[in-house]
Amino acid sequence: MAGADLGESSSKKKKGGGVKKPKRIGFKLDMTPLVDVAFLLLTFFMFATTMAQPQIMEMQVPPDITTPVEVAQSDLFTLYVSNKEHLFYNTGIDPIMRKIDIKDLQALAVQKNAERENDLITSLKVDPAASYATVVDILDELNLAEGELVDSYKEKNLKRERRFAITPITEEDKAELAKVDI
Amino acid sequence: MGAHKPKRIGFKLDMTPLVDVAFLLLTFFMFTAKFKSEAESEQKFQIKRPVASPDTAKLPERGIALVKIGIDEKGDTLTYFAVISEKDRKAIYTAQGVDPAEANNAQVTVRDTVTLANLVLQTRRTNPKIKFMIDADKRVRYGRIEQVMNTFRSQGATLFNFVTVNRSQQG
Repeated sequence: MAGADLGESSSKKKKGGGVKKPKRIGFKLDMTPLVDVAFLLLTFFMFATTMAQPQIMEMQVPPDITTPVEVAQSDLFTLYVSNKEHLFYNTGIDPIMRKIDIKDLQALAVQKNAERENDLITSLKVDPAASYATVVDILDELNLAEGELVDSYKEKNLKRERRFAITPITEEDKAELAKVDI
Repeated sequence: MGAHKPKRIGFKLDMTPLVDVAFLLLTFFMFTAKFKSEAESEQKFQIKRPVASPDTAKLPERGIALVKIGIDEKGDTLTYFAVISEKDRKAIYTAQGVDPAEANNAQVTVRDTVTLANLVLQTRRTNPKIKFMIDADKRVRYGRIEQVMNTFRSQGATLFNFVTVNRSQQG
């Protein structure tokens, strides 16, 4: 305040004759409408924003080639999803389909891969009537298992090579599934 | 009622800090706000994305082609193809099988797999850098997804992504 007073008086002395508006000291502006508008906009933007940002899950399918690739049966680890959304698995050595809970899949995938190092080929066969959510759940579990495997391989100075594919379900698979899926 | 406090007449509160904070929040929300895209306002359904574990890969904002599979309120499954890349969009929507009335829209309706195959091929020809995404509702039957994946595969688009939502932020 004192500074403002001083500035005013000194300028008066210098300019002499000029008509100068007196500076308004203790000037108050009613901020209520401003605050009203500010809050209105604030609430609007708060409701308009979406916090959940979508993320992506990478997927690779083999190129469209007609020549079948020979694989050793013992390397196979197959997962089946029935039309009742139940998950089953079998391996090339042990063809009996066993039921498993999706939440136990991560541990199983890690265990199966640990047995056969990089040789294991995981394939997923899904009944077209199963829901997409189930498939994503399974892929997610497999991705989690993959993360765990990459870490354990790093300790052993090995390079992890993932061998995974989504393969079409055959009529025979469906018939086999129908027998075990009650 | 013994000691009666005198009513404060003409009481004034300094609103400056309040206004400061309000404006700070306002600017924050204004800059972070992401609005419904043009494409989203055209479609009749809202996609309930499947949940997955937190991942570092976020959905890119441009340079992508989305295959949207959703369920409308009547329970019908609809498929849309949306290219999020301003400069390539028009060229891609000239693909065979696309309804010419929709060519200027943000996204086009996909009626059959042949149209989808044409669109995928056209996208790859126009801009090979465009990434393919499958943005499907979690209630959709897997058969539909399989069809789309087979179409991608037949057109040489072997790398694509599923759009998911973080498990902790599901909503």
